[in-house]
Amino acid sequence: MDELKIKEGLKDFFCTNLGIESDALGYDTPLFSEGIGLDSIDSLEIIAYVDSTYGISMTGVGKDPFYNIDSITKYIVEHA
Amino acid sequence: MMNIDEVNKRIRQRPPFQMIERVIEFTAGESARGIKNVSINEPYFIGHFPDAPIMPGVLIVESCAQLCSIVMSGDAVEEGKLYVLLKVDGFKFVKPVIPGDTLDITVNKTRAGGTIVSFDATVTVGGTICAKGSMTFTAIDRDSVYAQK
Repeated sequence: MDELKIKEGLKDFFCTNLGIESDALGYDTPLFSEGIGLDSIDSLEIIAYVDSTYGISMTGVGKDPFYNIDSITKYIVEHA
Repeated sequence: MMNIDEVNKRIRQRPPFQMIERVIEFTAGESARGIKNVSINEPYFIGHFPDAPIMPGVLIVESCAQLCSIVMSGDAVEEGKLYVLLKVDGFKFVKPVIPGDTLDITVNKTRAGGTIVSFDATVTVGGTICAKGSMTFTAIDRDSVYAQK
């Protein structure tokens, strides 16, 4: 799997569907609380995106894989 | 086509908060077209507004949400399960809805994954668009709502 493509896809998803400004979002930017401030509804959206795009379920996993785009990508690659 | 009897099997809402009265097109899990007749007898018209009855936009959203619930329920409401609204995006209320109007509502599933489902909704009266937008739902256990409090 091409990690860069996964990261680009995730960033595009965040900007298009969750209303995040592209300039404010790097691959290592924290997504929740101290970062760009996503909430629990957004985490369900991320789970839905990963499920429908890669067929990988993130339901019930801990919060660590959701830390930033890099960590979500790592989870996708490890579970592909 | 579903009459009120069939609708009642698929949603939990009841008067005075039931906002789909008939379903004229239905594809389980995908889409539906439904009807709500707007009567001057509806209680919210007393205050919204005195001498200028207009259906509140939030109740138009609710009408769309109830039709989405019917699509998600399939053949019947699942015991112990509730479909709840998570998110409402980009709703526009293009034209006021007044007593005597019949809302013709169409909802189409746009996304599904994990535990959430999203729909696009369009509301017309007499062929003219009155409102449109999109909404996202999830299914939760009824008991989990009250266990938290």
